[in-house]
Amino acid sequence: MSSSSPHALTAHWKKFLALGVVALAVVWVFACVGVAHHENRQALSVLVGSLFWISILIGMLLLTMITRLFDAGWAPLIRRNWELLIIALPVVILLGVVPLAFSTDFRHALWDWTNAEHLLPGGHAVGHDPILQAKSWFLNEKFFLIRIALYVLVFGVLAILLRRWSFAQDTDRTAGHTHRLHAVSAVGIPLSAVALTMLAFDCLMALSYHWFSTMYGVWFFALSIRLALAVTVILTYKLSNGGWLDGLLNQAHRHVLGCLMLAFTVFWAYISFSQYFLIYTANIPEETFWYNIREIDAATGLKSEWWGVSMYLIFGFFLLPFLSLLFYRTKIVAGRLLTVAWIIVIGGLVDLWFNALPRQVYDKSTPEGFVVTPFLTPSLFLDLAAILGFGGIVFAIYLRGAAKHETIPVHDPRILESINYHE
Amino acid sequence: MNERNERIHGVACTFRKVSDVFHAAEKVRDAGWKNWDVHTPFPIHGMDQAMGLPRSPVPRLTLLGGVTGFITGCLLTWYMNSYDYPLIVGGKPYWSVIFPFPVLYECTILFAAFGTFFGQFIFNRLPRHNHPLFDLPNFARVSDDTFMIVLEARDPQFHLDESRNFLQSLGGQEITVIRD
Repeated sequence: MSSSSPHALTAHWKKFLALGVVALAVVWVFACVGVAHHENRQALSVLVGSLFWISILIGMLLLTMITRLFDAGWAPLIRRNWELLIIALPVVILLGVVPLAFSTDFRHALWDWTNAEHLLPGGHAVGHDPILQAKSWFLNEKFFLIRIALYVLVFGVLAILLRRWSFAQDTDRTAGHTHRLHAVSAVGIPLSAVALTMLAFDCLMALSYHWFSTMYGVWFFALSIRLALAVTVILTYKLSNGGWLDGLLNQAHRHVLGCLMLAFTVFWAYISFSQYFLIYTANIPEETFWYNIREIDAATGLKSEWWGVSMYLIFGFFLLPFLSLLFYRTKIVAGRLLTVAWIIVIGGLVDLWFNALPRQVYDKSTPEGFVVTPFLTPSLFLDLAAILGFGGIVFAIYLRGAAKHETIPVHDPRILESINYHE
Repeated sequence: MNERNERIHGVACTFRKVSDVFHAAEKVRDAGWKNWDVHTPFPIHGMDQAMGLPRSPVPRLTLLGGVTGFITGCLLTWYMNSYDYPLIVGGKPYWSVIFPFPVLYECTILFAAFGTFFGQFIFNRLPRHNHPLFDLPNFARVSDDTFMIVLEARDPQFHLDESRNFLQSLGGQEITVIRD
């Protein structure tokens, strides 16, 4: 198999690995230098870059399990690519989030609540913060590190099991593997739901630990599935033009992916708006400040550049993909679906920026006692470098896997149904 | 047949196998027929393409309904809360797009559903209480084990004898003339 021409792609894995290693080395050097100078923006690049891929891969892990559990007839052809990718999920967490969390300097730089001497807006130290003391049963460093380790474990074990029995079926042709994978998925979906919710709490919500939203995990889930579907569309477009899905992927496969992208675009908007709406309606200062620093420049009272980012999310990440995907032709014409997928990938990055970057920094010269970190900084390029770096690793793992295993699950009981899938 | 019913609805012809009716449908499509239909006991995948059917126009009415609903919701909340009886609730403005958003999208969904439901009534020409095909003695069998192609008389290509011969050439089994 691996010598035939559709599999020539797999030979590029070394290039992806080289790209990943070089880009990650550069980003980590910047992050280390930054932390040595008491700056955390470069470390945030590592966090954003890894979370971008963690989000995509969690989405793919969930899609793998959901299509397994519900016996989706269209899925096997596409699912094999998710199975090849998801093993990169624990790797990305290990290369990104784990060093940030386990190194004291990075932890203190990124997660203010871990640093008792950190000064909050107004000049109080974190160590004397009654809000943190009340939350300390959850937000304490020991439990935090245990949780981070558990994410690697849960996602890693699920990825290994979902791959092992699926690959085993390629050689021994046993239908029993499909039943075993049902069981793994039935247990894995609730486990992943808890893990991804806690991961979103720990890696993003806790960056601004006074704030809380019970919908945050669902928002991260919606974002993950949207990004996973968009990357799947881009990947399968490439694979059906000279790759191993050439001639296999048809209009109905694009249609089903397009319908799912539309559904999760609406779901993302529903969750994001509901979170905003509840906080807006309740109007409690502990909650509203999170949106205020993303809208208003505290010094002047005018709209800040973060307001522009919010508007981009509404119009560029929701309205544009939503209105485009309403049309049947957008879902079936490969080029149009590809365009929408790229819009969603870019929007997903902007959404991560919107959630991760704005921070209140103590500054006693301003009336509010803080300034908000700006959006447009050269460090955005470092974020892109981090995304390239982690992406290089992810695709090196993917192509290496594609060279070793069947790229089509040839003995999946539903493979014929998947290949002949129609609307 | 009944002499009072002289107007002809069309010609029906039965098939025994899916592949027969499928290929026959393709030939009817290629011959350029517009007013004709295929009746089967179960959905046959790919029949839409074999018949050359266009996409349903119903989604257009769904979209129209949705847009109407959104505008209706805006007018409703604006009129009540900001114009007819201006009232400040919870420190929010008289009217903005944010606080009444649940009303706006519920109206959007409701009117889009109306557009879909009544849209399919319009495009399916419902309600319709009887159909000439129901008088056909063997029509009940197309819900059991028979497939049927009906060429309708209102099609410009329709000519009783030629159409009958055309159906015969497609491999049809039982050919019946349907009267209104």
